[in-house]
Amino acid sequence: MGILGSGNSAALRHVFLASLRRRRLATALSLLAIALGVALGLAVQLIHTAALDELDRGMRLLSGEADLQVVGPRSGFDDAVYARIALHPTVAAASPLLEIQARLPGRDETLRVFGIDLFRVAQVTPSLLPIVETAAADGEDPEGSDADRPDRLAALQPDALFLSPAASTRLELDAGDAVVVQVGIGEARLRVAGSVPSAGVGQVLAVMDIAGAQQTFDRIGRLTRIDLRLAPGIERGPAQELLRDLLPPGVTLLTPEETASEVTGVSRAYRVNLTMLAAIALLTGGFLVFSTQWLAVVRRRREFAFLRALGLDRNSLERGLLTEGALLGLIGGIAGVLLAYLLTALAFRLIGGDLGAGFFRGVAPQLRVEPVLTLAYLGLGVLAGVAGAWLPAREAARMVPARGLRAGDEAEVYQARPRRGAALIALSVAALLCLLPPIGGVPVSGYLAVALILVAAVLAIPGATVGAMRLLPVRGSLVTRLARARLAAAPGQAVVAGVGVVASVALAVSMAIMVDSFRDSLDAWLTRMLPADLYLRASDSGASGYLDPDAVARVAALPGVAGVRPVRFENLRIGEVREAIALIARPVQDTSGLPLVAGTLDPPAGPGTDPPTWISEALADRLDLGVDDPLALPLGEQIQTFRIVGIWRDYARQQGAAVIELETFRALTGDRRTNDLGLSLAPGTDPVEVMSAIRATLGDRVSEMILPGELRSMILQVFDRTFLATYLMLAVAVTIGLFGIGTTFAALASSRQKEFGILRHLGLPRRRIGTLLALEAALTAAVGVGVGLAAGAAIALVLIRVINPQSFHWSMDMQLPLATLLVFGSAMILLAALAARLAGRQAMRQDAVLAVREDW
Amino acid sequence: MPVWLALTLALCWPIAFAAASDFAPVIEGRPLAFPADTGAHPDYRTEWWYITGWLTDETGIERGFQVTFFRVGTGIGADNPSRFAPRQLILAHAAIADPSVGSLIHAERIERALEPLAGAAMGQTRAWIADWELASDATDGPERYRTRIEADDFALDLELVTTGPPLPNGRGGFSQKTPDPSNASYYYSRPQLAVEGRIRLDGTDRHVTGHAWLDHEWSSEIMPEEAQGWDWIGINLHDGGSLMAFRMRGRDGSALWTSGTLRDGAAPARTLVPDEVRFQPGRLWQSPRTGTRYPVEWTLEVAGRTLRLEPLMDDQELDGRRSTGIVYWEGAVRVYEADREVGRGYLEMTGYAQRPDSL
Amino acid sequence: MLSIENLSKRFDTSLDHPLFEQVSLHLSPGESVAVMGESGVGKSTFLNCIAGLEPVDGGRIRLRDTEVTSLDEDACSRMRRRELGFVFQAFHVLPHLTLAQNVALPLWLLDEQEAVADRRARAMLERVGLGRRGDDWPRHLSGGELQRVAIARALVHAPAVVLCDEPTGNLDPERAQGVLELLFEGIHNAGAIGILVTHSRAAAAHADRILRLTASGLVADVG
Repeated sequence: MGILGSGNSAALRHVFLASLRRRRLATALSLLAIALGVALGLAVQLIHTAALDELDRGMRLLSGEADLQVVGPRSGFDDAVYARIALHPTVAAASPLLEIQARLPGRDETLRVFGIDLFRVAQVTPSLLPIVETAAADGEDPEGSDADRPDRLAALQPDALFLSPAASTRLELDAGDAVVVQVGIGEARLRVAGSVPSAGVGQVLAVMDIAGAQQTFDRIGRLTRIDLRLAPGIERGPAQELLRDLLPPGVTLLTPEETASEVTGVSRAYRVNLTMLAAIALLTGGFLVFSTQWLAVVRRRREFAFLRALGLDRNSLERGLLTEGALLGLIGGIAGVLLAYLLTALAFRLIGGDLGAGFFRGVAPQLRVEPVLTLAYLGLGVLAGVAGAWLPAREAARMVPARGLRAGDEAEVYQARPRRGAALIALSVAALLCLLPPIGGVPVSGYLAVALILVAAVLAIPGATVGAMRLLPVRGSLVTRLARARLAAAPGQAVVAGVGVVASVALAVSMAIMVDSFRDSLDAWLTRMLPADLYLRASDSGASGYLDPDAVARVAALPGVAGVRPVRFENLRIGEVREAIALIARPVQDTSGLPLVAGTLDPPAGPGTDPPTWISEALADRLDLGVDDPLALPLGEQIQTFRIVGIWRDYARQQGAAVIELETFRALTGDRRTNDLGLSLAPGTDPVEVMSAIRATLGDRVSEMILPGELRSMILQVFDRTFLATYLMLAVAVTIGLFGIGTTFAALASSRQKEFGILRHLGLPRRRIGTLLALEAALTAAVGVGVGLAAGAAIALVLIRVINPQSFHWSMDMQLPLATLLVFGSAMILLAALAARLAGRQAMRQDAVLAVREDW
Repeated sequence: MPVWLALTLALCWPIAFAAASDFAPVIEGRPLAFPADTGAHPDYRTEWWYITGWLTDETGIERGFQVTFFRVGTGIGADNPSRFAPRQLILAHAAIADPSVGSLIHAERIERALEPLAGAAMGQTRAWIADWELASDATDGPERYRTRIEADDFALDLELVTTGPPLPNGRGGFSQKTPDPSNASYYYSRPQLAVEGRIRLDGTDRHVTGHAWLDHEWSSEIMPEEAQGWDWIGINLHDGGSLMAFRMRGRDGSALWTSGTLRDGAAPARTLVPDEVRFQPGRLWQSPRTGTRYPVEWTLEVAGRTLRLEPLMDDQELDGRRSTGIVYWEGAVRVYEADREVGRGYLEMTGYAQRPDSL
Repeated sequence: MLSIENLSKRFDTSLDHPLFEQVSLHLSPGESVAVMGESGVGKSTFLNCIAGLEPVDGGRIRLRDTEVTSLDEDACSRMRRRELGFVFQAFHVLPHLTLAQNVALPLWLLDEQEAVADRRARAMLERVGLGRRGDDWPRHLSGGELQRVAIARALVHAPAVVLCDEPTGNLDPERAQGVLELLFEGIHNAGAIGILVTHSRAAAAHADRILRLTASGLVADVG
């Protein structure tokens, strides 16, 4: 028995599958769409799986056998906590850590440095144990007795740095080499004293003695983490409660799993969204398979009727066509899988594991074959092929062979009932889904709504076609009337030709609206956030560089500098939110302010009122807070209550951010460091001169400066690059849609030979028949574009109002790029007419008929 | 003179350039002052409190035990205001010699001195790493020491009551180690400590009594380049007296220096000059683990008396090849004079496998 | 043995008056019959009814022991596959299969081994005079040759009944003659029942009997 059940596999091969080879262009495009969808989806998954695995491995490695971890804000917490915790009877072992992102001047890179107590680390996180390697330790000692002895105390030297194998490779440093790290705007010189052999191949990190780290990085008295192993018989939960009482505000105890999920949680929405983009590509592929298969079914109608007459049963016919779709999906899927691995390897080489989004710094993931994931995506490819072939296959199987055997009744296939009811139901369900909250931070219902809107659009095509034809004037030229009559009578023709157009236009339009809105909002936001003439920083806010008050004063005193606006970044842990939130301390009230969506920049200040804070939308969402609510923040290891006076839009920090006045921050913490310094220049000052003056004042290698314009265009560039893949996918989808129209009309032209012959006999010039085809195509495309535009706008609304706020907690102002859409729509219609005209002319040349038919 | 000295110095060898001159020198003529000198002396490089002794449980089974707390100045971090600055390290080592086990049961800890987790106090004996502790107490009755060790395999919780004043070794507590007087330490012993307390073995607590010996020694420079190792004994004599003797061996096995302190019964102690002490190795025992051969029986000629040492058991070797890299023998011995047992104590032999350090 | 009793068929359910009614016909193996009639009287529909391709509105069709009119769709398909051969006016030679593959098609549908099917198809082509052209493509063939291929295909699986719908409608008279001779010789040699629907009296003359389909049944041709 063959796959067909009855009917030999030879029939399957020669009759069905071989037909894919005959219509090469259509097959190739279907394959391309499926391959691209599978490739993008799988590549995104592979990259993130590898990065997350490595991250997870890193987390496990770095937490070792820890049962609990004491964590605090990024700047750490008072190390007096350590002794209290270590002596607690529930604690069997406590290992203090100070983690620093050390900026490496002149390298444009940071290195994760762990300050450890080497006598303690072995008890909880043995993988961080350093091994001393001296240049002379290679058996040169003739007695060999001293060199091979472990000499752990060398690791106590304050300048001894130990590199993981991955860090050693990345930085090209070996034992004995010097490493310069930046501290504030100064430099400190460390020495590679050995390695951290157990750190694992993917972990780029360094280890040094905790006392040396505190001293070198000017973090005396600070820890960022304490890893705990609990005494035998002590449960985590009760211990967590007991120990929490020993901790100052803003410092908390997490299990290693919780710490790890903090990191993965922040990137989840981003990962899901990329996956969804890939899914949309796959969906487009499915639509394309539908379109090509439907046309193929129409074209092969008589062949199928004949085969049915020969005794091919319905099921075999349906299965044969589904197998065609499955084969398309399989080949496309295999190509996609290969492409995905290629893309992943390329991505790891070029941009690392985070696709440029900065979520997975410090891990060097390796490309690995993921059998389950690969099979799943291959399966999705096949599914897209089968799903696309499903309706056409059913249509073919439903055909009455006796009728199919009669020539020239293709129009019958193009009968389609307007399914207004179904379309309306789909739309209503979509609207309801938009009201549902996200599931686990992922706007599942939003994505479902998008899919339903697409379905509704496709269902609406026949009705829209009929409706549109009614709107057309009844009078008009003969050709217009003919075209109108044809489309009104056979709206299914518009479905077949237009479904690709509708789907691709809807997706393209929605993305265009969303991206345009996002870009506009982002641009406005950047303008608001970057009011100064020049920005100066010592390093990334998370790394070891900073500006001390003296440096700020020196910069402020430079000629041409009219004013400085220091910003301090910190992150905090507040009770209700597991992930740390960002704290931005900067002058607010006397500046151009914040991109507020609610509240005021100038709150009335009176005696006895709490200091003001402005929180980002993400924080407002997550804590369910509004203007005038109080917000308690742990600052300087005590709780300070702030009054929320404004909510602002933040595209930079998904975990949420709170802005407070710099003076308040300094008064509460005594921390006078500055991360970013905004400079306003005296009128007529050349920023480049100021930049050279700053370099001369602070030194060459320890500061980074940028003009807001450059920063803005840099950010927008990154933005555009992020959406480049999307645009590419959409271009493919739109091309495919256009191609669908062209090929449909080519097929129609060849099957309507008789009709056209009659028309010509009646005296219609050949040219006018071409015009007729073009007009029909233009009308079809116009309906498709119209429905697509409407669906696209609806999808954009869902993207902007539901999916983005739910995924990223940020809002944007909806912006309709009318001119772009108008040009795009008109171009689609014109191109469709042109394609049909060309296809029709080809089709009407007798010798060309065969060629076209062979291909489709 | 426990081998832990060597161990520590071995750990420190890459910082050997932190020369002895960074630490206070040991000079003859500095009188020991008690109780202040029972506390720590952080200006000197190394210091230890070293307790050895014999214990008998309720069933009459005899075991040897050893507890040492070590303080090491690293010469690192003097200028570092961090509380983690590793200026001083504290090491602790404890072992039990149980003939029914056949080899030593032991455990060790090492930490940087960091109040209140680990440290060595000045003014009065107190050294600790978390719940491992050795401290003296003279407030009520005779001065006594208390030590507690909680290891995975065993535990010790002992009170050691002194029976006399501290006994300075060498010339008034100045103990020369080689012909060069710069290789010297400040050194006093507390022999004839009456022990009572509890040990845990195999998860079972046992009440024990016995006798022990405490050494407290601090220095900046002891072992010269030409030394290969040493042999040391500390013996509580049954007549109430005590004997300490050591021999520093050269690379060829000959004695570089010998010395000792002998107190016969209630007679005043006298310091033995090199000529008065002779170590003669007897029966050899070869370790099945390391292949090292140790003379586990000795004949000692001390101030005209001939004493014979026999071990509680042959295998009292500590194999530190995996941790410290040092292999040595340290164990309980019985002392005979003309076939009559006259005392019990501890013997330490180093440098038989390899030279314990490079200083 | 094919027996048709009182077969009636309305062209469309919306039309009240029947296309034909009370058609009865009995044929034994080796027997052939030509059915003639006016345009629109339903000659092709008559063939479709026999093949089970169209439902009947009354009467019975039995092929050997099988009641065709009571078979469901899939059983009909199986019956056609096994028992029927078709020759159409429009040839229906699939352009993307070689001649041998076209002829092998019914054998493929019967789950025949591909090699066996190929051998039998080529033997069949030999018999219709296209022995050396099994690997040729249909686009290189004339109309007469295409119909020979169709005849080979109709006979290759030794069907019980061969249904021919105006097989020479697209051919000039000389070629038509050759094709018809081949067709009827094949049917006769195979011991099959042949039913030929045609306008052409010359074509009809090849059959054992000539009948005329009218609205009220089959009558012997008296023209």
